[in-house]
Amino acid sequence: MDITGKIREIAARLLQNGEVDLFMAWEKGDLPFQSKPFFARRVEDVERIIFDEYSIHNLSNALLKFRDRQEKIGLVVKGCDSRGVVRLLEDGQIERDRLYIVGVCCPGMKDPLQAMRDYSGFNRNPEAAPLAAKCENCIQPNPVIYDELLGEEQPPRVQGERFARVRELEQLSPDERYRFFEDILSRCIRCYACRQACVACNCRTCIFDETKPQWVGRETSISDNMMYHLVRASHMAGRCIECGECERVCPVNIPLMLINQKLIKDVDNFFGPYEAGMQYVEGAKPPLSVYQENDPDDFI
Amino acid sequence: MKVLNKNKLPAVFDKLAQQSELFVPLQKKEQSGFYSWKSFDQASDQLALDLLNVYLPPKQVLLPQTEKMYSFRQEEGGVAISEVYEESQARVIFGIRACDLQAINCLDQAFLTRGFVDEFYKARRDNTTIVASACYKPGANCFCSSMGVNPLEPAGADAIIRDTGTEYFIWEARTPAGEELSRQLAEFLEEKELPLPQSQAFERQVDMEGVAEKLSQVFSSPLWEELSDACQTCGICTYLCPSCYCFDIQVKNQGEAGYRFRCWDSCMYGEYTLMAGGHNPRASATERFRNRFLHKLEFFNERYGMPLCTGCGRCIIACPAGIDISKIITAAKEAEWSA
Repeated sequence: MDITGKIREIAARLLQNGEVDLFMAWEKGDLPFQSKPFFARRVEDVERIIFDEYSIHNLSNALLKFRDRQEKIGLVVKGCDSRGVVRLLEDGQIERDRLYIVGVCCPGMKDPLQAMRDYSGFNRNPEAAPLAAKCENCIQPNPVIYDELLGEEQPPRVQGERFARVRELEQLSPDERYRFFEDILSRCIRCYACRQACVACNCRTCIFDETKPQWVGRETSISDNMMYHLVRASHMAGRCIECGECERVCPVNIPLMLINQKLIKDVDNFFGPYEAGMQYVEGAKPPLSVYQENDPDDFI
Repeated sequence: MKVLNKNKLPAVFDKLAQQSELFVPLQKKEQSGFYSWKSFDQASDQLALDLLNVYLPPKQVLLPQTEKMYSFRQEEGGVAISEVYEESQARVIFGIRACDLQAINCLDQAFLTRGFVDEFYKARRDNTTIVASACYKPGANCFCSSMGVNPLEPAGADAIIRDTGTEYFIWEARTPAGEELSRQLAEFLEEKELPLPQSQAFERQVDMEGVAEKLSQVFSSPLWEELSDACQTCGICTYLCPSCYCFDIQVKNQGEAGYRFRCWDSCMYGEYTLMAGGHNPRASATERFRNRFLHKLEFFNERYGMPLCTGCGRCIIACPAGIDISKIITAAKEAEWSA
């Protein structure tokens, strides 16, 4: 039986037995590349569930919609998504016993957004690649937390030096780097899709939504845009689980993972060795979430 | 008929840009939208008139994402307004599609009618001339024809260009302002008889008949939650939408001086309905999602007699969660809305 069939079987069993109230997976749209998040609530919904090479969305993020509710939830996670579940558990956003986690060893995904843009008539040059950019950099295709595991274990897909792009940027002079960031961040339209797609962005009131005081201005100006992205990036330090959804959903193609990767590398260097969300240990605290007297500070 | 050689476009644009701020569809590195011709950089930019459309809609020309309204300074005895930023220089939008022009017709309704006139919008709008590009090959996500738009006869255009598939656009002036453009561009226009392009059929169609009425009856339906399951409440759909016009007015202060500005806002954001006392009537994704579609397909229709969706397809293309407004329209008619 293929993965879709196995997921349907599990979902049907869980819904039938009342072990979960809803089951998060994907369903197919009209076009071959359209897979989208789908939450089954009834046994008869289960036949809509699919898992295919476009099941790229990180469904752990969707758990935040249910954090203040009671439902028991089943969900399908790939390697990166499972690290998202660890993020939520470590951050105290949801209880482990409300979840039934179906892990799928991920062979790498294609990006339905890229495929859709190619199909739209708006693109001059095709974008779609055999594998989504975020999957090319994957260090953990296999789920790190699950109740049931499907599929063959997969090797990490990142090739060559993991932080090569970060190192290139580090080689630039401060002025050149500033110009680079000015260029990429001036395009931001402040749609907050990066924040909304991010499982680590789970603050109940986001600093960017606060009005008393208003920490970051609402203008789409280079200074407000930079403030937004720099504050968001620093909140990601030691917390980003590298699912790459922020960069994937960005409608103006800002290379956000470059910023996140720099922080992943620095947290690992200065406070590590550390890789966020690789295992769930109850009560464990990621670096920077607690103060240690011997934390290094000579780079400040 | 009058025709315009495509090779002459840069010269035409230079000429128009002498007397007005000219906006054309451009591909600028990773981004495409309507930009000032003054910003055109030969090395990195490409004219996008040949593409179906651009991602960032032209509403930016009339309703900028961020717009200074006035500056003020604290003085003895009160506050003095030091400058009001009303932009009334002549503008030309060249190459807008019928869907995006219909969206401007919607903005006109919201900002100029029913006794409410937005002076900032009006100053721009009154001085804007529109050259629309007739659309003969609808894209896979286009459904403007279902939303009361005729892609071949863009409503409200001062002039229309028609891509013949040869080196020529057919040029048609439609209003006195369009005739004035024809005179300005006389040196570039030629007389030539060319066959009109063949229009292609729409792959995507919806039936709007009765949708507004149906939606007015299903506000409390539990189906909204299921429809909104995948929605992450980002602002992509509203910011890429050519007709979404919600804005917020804010202020920036430094010491004793500051300025007031307005900026786009999105009903997808929690802050949008957050009240001074802290209550939020649309706290959840479901409520915000429902509001967006009811505004587009019901409320606006009731008030202005037209939907606030013009079938451009941008939200369908860019939604990270695969939410499709044409499916919501179909669901309004076909789905079981009661519990």
